Amino acid sequence: MRQLLMVRYGEIYLKGLNRPYFMKALVKRVREATKEYKATVWLHDARIFVSDMTDTDACMERVRKVFGVHSVCPAIEMEKDDFDAICVEAEKMMRSVNGTFKVEARRSDKRYFMDSPMINRKIGEYVLERNEDHLSVDVHKPEHILSVEIRDKAYLYCQVYMAVGGMPVGTGGKAALLLSGGIDSPVAGYMIAKRGVQLISVHYHSFPYTSEQAKEKVLDLGRILSQYCCGMKTYVVPFTEIQMEIHEKCPEDYTTLIMRRYMMRIAEKIAEKEGALALITGESIGQVASQTMEALQTTNEVVKMPVFRPLIGFDKVDIIEYAKKIGTYETSSLPYEDCCTVFTPKHPATKPKMQKILEGEEKLDQEALIEKAVNDAEIILL
Amino acid sequence: MSIYLDNSATTRPCDAAVQAMLHAMQEDFYNPSALYAPAMGPEKMMKKCRDVILQSVHAPQGSRVVFLSGGTEADNLAILGQQKKCRDKRILYSAGEHPAVKEACQAVEGAQAVAVPYTREGVVDLQALEELMDESVALICIMQVNNETGAIQPLQEIGEMKMRRCPQAHFHVDGVQGYLRVPFDMKACHADSYALSGHKIHAPKGVGALVMGPAMQVRARQVGGGQENMIRSGTENTVGIAGLLAAIEAFPKAHDMQQVKMHLWQGLQALIPGARVNGPAPDSVLAAPHILNVSLPPVRSETMLHALEGKKIYVGIGSACSSHKQKVSAVLKAMHVDQPLAESALRFSFCPDNTIEEMNTVLEAVKGQHALLSRFQRR
Repeated sequence: MRQLLMVRYGEIYLKGLNRPYFMKALVKRVREATKEYKATVWLHDARIFVSDMTDTDACMERVRKVFGVHSVCPAIEMEKDDFDAICVEAEKMMRSVNGTFKVEARRSDKRYFMDSPMINRKIGEYVLERNEDHLSVDVHKPEHILSVEIRDKAYLYCQVYMAVGGMPVGTGGKAALLLSGGIDSPVAGYMIAKRGVQLISVHYHSFPYTSEQAKEKVLDLGRILSQYCCGMKTYVVPFTEIQMEIHEKCPEDYTTLIMRRYMMRIAEKIAEKEGALALITGESIGQVASQTMEALQTTNEVVKMPVFRPLIGFDKVDIIEYAKKIGTYETSSLPYEDCCTVFTPKHPATKPKMQKILEGEEKLDQEALIEKAVNDAEIILL
Repeated sequence: MSIYLDNSATTRPCDAAVQAMLHAMQEDFYNPSALYAPAMGPEKMMKKCRDVILQSVHAPQGSRVVFLSGGTEADNLAILGQQKKCRDKRILYSAGEHPAVKEACQAVEGAQAVAVPYTREGVVDLQALEELMDESVALICIMQVNNETGAIQPLQEIGEMKMRRCPQAHFHVDGVQGYLRVPFDMKACHADSYALSGHKIHAPKGVGALVMGPAMQVRARQVGGGQENMIRSGTENTVGIAGLLAAIEAFPKAHDMQQVKMHLWQGLQALIPGARVNGPAPDSVLAAPHILNVSLPPVRSETMLHALEGKKIYVGIGSACSSHKQKVSAVLKAMHVDQPLAESALRFSFCPDNTIEEMNTVLEAVKGQHALLSRFQRR
């Protein structure tokens, strides 16, 4: 007999002939996630099992953050032939539980000497007889379900911890996230990564207008994200020179938009270099001047790649809720001085004219500026 | 090589302090309360440190030294430890006090805490203070040297004024930014207590002291084994105290900080016509030798700080403890410094090791960075 984690997956069930590919990817991700706990991970009978970890609780928390995992159950694995022993363990498991319960048996081994209804009755009776003072049976709406799965061995569990769901990272391609220190972009990255997309991230650093601490805060956000998306390569792009050039040569009310266009172009260059197929931003319609539909059109048109904006229809309060849920809100809210307001126009154009943008950009040596920014980027593996 | 000019935030522990701490850890590690002979080592060292401190501040006969974790705890003990004395009375503190004093004064239950305004030079407005002094005042807290501007406060005048107007009041001096760098005479100032911190004078962090005048009584802020005469329970930080003693003894009696400061200030004036000192004129007797607070408009403080950081020159922008609060300095506000100047204020703070050559390197860096960054203003 031993304790282990039974990992259940969700949407992969819907896959047809491709299912083995997704399963293999998920097992790989669970294996990576549990490596620091020295766990053994294997796939058997449509379930992923995790055993022999150094810290069960911490290991389970980690597995719950693996995209593609639907839920995790701490379970007991034992020999299935000794039914009395199964009853004893089942009773031990239910001793500390109060309220109503039922037993739910499942047999993938159809040759087992008892069928499921019989297992339910036998174990239910055994448990109830010994715990009548705090347990009663309700087969329709029980507060607790004691699950018994008869496979090549018997598995018992009564707690199911929901996990993040989604698809295993890497099965959905690769995309580049424009990561700032704010609340929105980590959430946007999370949402796309959840669909199985491997992320790389691009952060624009404006030293000395933003500090090393501000950069570290962004990297901390990246570290939180990387727990979910199995590591994330991050490009920290020096951006001050481009901001200075724009500030000096372009019309004031267009500086933010032109800056955003440069960010998109640089991100696309990096994405191409990394074999990523799309860009991700945390934009939401109308949140700030550079996110009106007209402004989005001007920043969108400088890249050929699709740009994913999963937050496009979200209110700020909803984004904040999401950020709290995934654990990035606290770090995103840390105050660090940001003197980039020097480059922010007092009245940015909300209905920009393309002609004016192009006139401004003509004065800049676009190719050289972008090439230098990409080449000078610091690459950090998170 | 980096140039460190943020000595008011903290200093690098001097070699003597490091050696003394090493000795205290490896050899004299005994609990000073223990009864066997080797425990006499740390006990004697602490006694010596107390004597050295009392002597260094010209403490009156019968004064005591309590070792604490640093300046904040010393200020807190001096103020909150005297809550009883302050009940239904008034507490006067200067508008530019460090939060360790200001917040403590405001936290005293049943007392009215009143801020005494600063002049434009950043010293206590003596006339306003005198008007506030009457028999209802139980406690007066004035710092020796302002941590942001280096303004030396007229403690002797204040002490004499106190003796005339409200002799019953307790006069506490926060000496964290002044200790050893600016002379202090507890007797001449009629001060009743004095707080000091180790890490501002090349001792380690985590050690400080409160000098208590003979009449002072405080209520302990923590209970336990009754160390430090029942005032500060907890095994004494003998390692820190050994470092403190060594640092005090090693602190040079003569140094060039004033010349170094003036060299930097004159250089900045020549480079940047708009440069302004916040605080007393650097060559005045009211200006501490180790702090120069200067505004270099139009470049914002943080931007210039990071630009210099890029050249491995480390400076401050005010109180290090509050630099993440994103507010214009309360001290500069109290001095009515105009917003654009307050937003471009940098604090250069020196130690005896800083040199004229270093200042030349700093001036060179400021010259280049200021010329570049002042081109970019919000339009």
